[in-house]
Amino acid sequence: MQTRIISLLVEDNPGVLTRMSGMFTMRGINITSLTVSPCEQEGLSRMTVALYGSESELEKVRKQLSNLIEVVKVVDLEERATIIRDLCLMKVHVKDSKSRSEVMQLAESYGAEIADATLDSVILELTEEPEKIDRFVELMKHFGVKQLFRTGITAIGRD
Amino acid sequence: MARVKLSGAEIVVEELKNEGVEVAFGIPGGVLLDLYDVLYEEKEIRHILMRHEQCAAHAADGYARVSGETGVCIATSGPGATNLVTGLANASMDSSPVVALTGQVPTAAIGSNAFQEASTFTITMPITKHNFLVKRTADLPKVIHNAFYIANTGRKGVVLIDLPKDVLADVTEVNLHPKETFAGYKPNIKPNQVQTKRAAEVLANADRPLILAGGGVIIAGAAEELRYLAEFLGAPVVTTLMGKGAIPEGHPFCLGMAGMHGHIYANRAINECDAMLAVGTRFSDRTTGWQLDQFAPDATLIHVDIDAAEINKNIQVDIPIVGDVKLALSDMIKWLEKNKKTEGSSKSVWVQRIREMHSACEECIKDVRREGSSKSDRLIKTISGILDDDAIVTTEVGQCQMFAAHYYMTKKPRTFISSGGLGTMGFGFPAAIGAKVAAPDKKVVDIAGDGSFLMTCQDLATCVENDIPVVVCIFHNRYLGMVRQWQELFFDKKYSHTGLGMTPDFVMLAEAFGCYGERVEKPEELKDALNNAFESGKPAVIDMIVGTEDKILPMIPPGGGLTGMIGTEKCKHV
Ligand SMILES: Cc1ncc(C[n+]2csc(CCOP(=O)(O)OP(=O)(O)O)c2C)c(N)n1
Ligand SMILES: [Mg+2]
Repeated sequence: MQTRIISLLVEDNPGVLTRMSGMFTMRGINITSLTVSPCEQEGLSRMTVALYGSESELEKVRKQLSNLIEVVKVVDLEERATIIRDLCLMKVHVKDSKSRSEVMQLAESYGAEIADATLDSVILELTEEPEKIDRFVELMKHFGVKQLFRTGITAIGRD
Repeated sequence: MARVKLSGAEIVVEELKNEGVEVAFGIPGGVLLDLYDVLYEEKEIRHILMRHEQCAAHAADGYARVSGETGVCIATSGPGATNLVTGLANASMDSSPVVALTGQVPTAAIGSNAFQEASTFTITMPITKHNFLVKRTADLPKVIHNAFYIANTGRKGVVLIDLPKDVLADVTEVNLHPKETFAGYKPNIKPNQVQTKRAAEVLANADRPLILAGGGVIIAGAAEELRYLAEFLGAPVVTTLMGKGAIPEGHPFCLGMAGMHGHIYANRAINECDAMLAVGTRFSDRTTGWQLDQFAPDATLIHVDIDAAEINKNIQVDIPIVGDVKLALSDMIKWLEKNKKTEGSSKSVWVQRIREMHSACEECIKDVRREGSSKSDRLIKTISGILDDDAIVTTEVGQCQMFAAHYYMTKKPRTFISSGGLGTMGFGFPAAIGAKVAAPDKKVVDIAGDGSFLMTCQDLATCVENDIPVVVCIFHNRYLGMVRQWQELFFDKKYSHTGLGMTPDFVMLAEAFGCYGERVEKPEELKDALNNAFESGKPAVIDMIVGTEDKILPMIPPGGGLTGMIGTEKCKHV
């Protein structure tokens, strides 16, 4: 079992997202993340799907995806040759000035931005590889994570 | 094409005609009034009013399977569309080209739970190859052309077009008959030559080659190539249920249907072969059984299919070939002919073994068959004897279907029409209607079960009204027989809710509709009854009384494998 990232170029039609997610449900595939965005070509969207499954399951998904009429291109992204990013917004509890400065320090060392701050909380923003965000979130749980939002991954092949 | 000013409904009809549509099976409704208003005047399209939308879909499906042309069905919004669902799922599973038109509430009302609103677009997404919800009248020409293109190219399938009331009513200026435009759909049909050569070589060098032919051979129109290749190679052919007719049954190389209810020698041949050419089949569990180590364990597997997603889906293969079956077989034949790569000397031992096994097994399992079947086998053999090679047989689902698959000798492609993938009771009769409309000069017989027929028999009215004389032969066993058989064999004969009790008098039922009806108590009477039915010129029902506990044997039990058929224990030759 492994996580794989598939990048799809799809026609930007109403219902195309339902069709994609329906296909995954139908084939019993777990999606860990799904993002949709406009791309460089008008009328097309790019979807980045992270899937968890065995090699043979993933092979089947790739083929089923290619069969969908509105799918223009299916690219299986090799992890090593891919730049992967996830964006995280997180409201962290700071009970006193000591924890505030600790949170700030850690945020800085991870390259996170302070998006907003109140008396008893800060909102942090971090765009990074998902594993690094995982580690950052784990750290912040120590102070108390009030709210966590992640966009899901988007990815681009180097070549 | 010059710009014209037309209503949505007029555009739909113009585009249907441009696609060559001659027949549509449907039922109107409120949101379809504009469309039916245009159909009222229309001379080129024959609309057949059905009595249930499920039957409209099955009829379109049957029409497509017999003619190869895309079948068309029409239903109104809400209940009309949901009634279509079974029929569309059925056609999808068997890769039958069908375009369904459904009415929808006006675009402004979509999502408001308006009267007779159902989200047809989302409901039918998983059971269609593609579907469209049209939002603008101007999109109609493109959508309709693309729909027909998708339905009848690549792996064929079902396309649904959802048509809101206002889209049909609005008048707009459009260019008719556009070319297809797709960003991503390119049905790959040319097989890879390196692979076809490799496959041909493997088959030529094999000692025990076998061909497994599925419905894809028939859909691709490749029966002639298949027969030629089998003869050239000296390779026996087994078929799936959907593949019946891909090679004439009775041909010296044809072993008939394999699988769960297949012939023992066909299954045995699969087990023993050393090279298998599986063509136009998706290795359904009904064909392979569940013990995959008994499925061609020693064979180099070659798989030809138009759908790349079928390769390595159920069975891992050695030589995959994605592409049109007819082209792939032609390529192999060309290569074999050029390289004269088969004298078949070593193969003759294999062919001999198959022949001996064939006749010996027929002897061995005679008793099991007789014990299982009071008259069912003889009834099918009688039908098989009376009907000419061009006649079309459709089936319902259950024992009746498997008796037909087992004993009916199918001689030509597109003459055996059965619900393979979905196994839909109630399919055979409306499919027969579609078949008869597609081929009015051919005899069309539905081999039915009493349970199945009661699911769609209301469309006898359609047959009478539209002069569609199909003949329904009912296996009247007063049971949901196939399920009862399983209860008998695997659930200690506890016949839980499979008895049909007081079944209707099917002769009177037929007569009530204005059809011809006759009862057959003994198999000997069937010949006359069938002839009477055909001579009546009317739609007909023949009520064939069979034993309540008839069984179709041998069979692979659930979870079993190809070599573990129930009823073959005494067979010494396998
Ligand atoms: C629509 C539908 N419902 C239920 C089933 C499950 N099923 C499979 S065979 C069968 C019995 C069919 O009975 P009948 O038509 O009388 O045929 P027989 O087996 O008796 O020949 C049933 C209920 C089905 N295949 N299709
Ligand atoms: Mg029955």
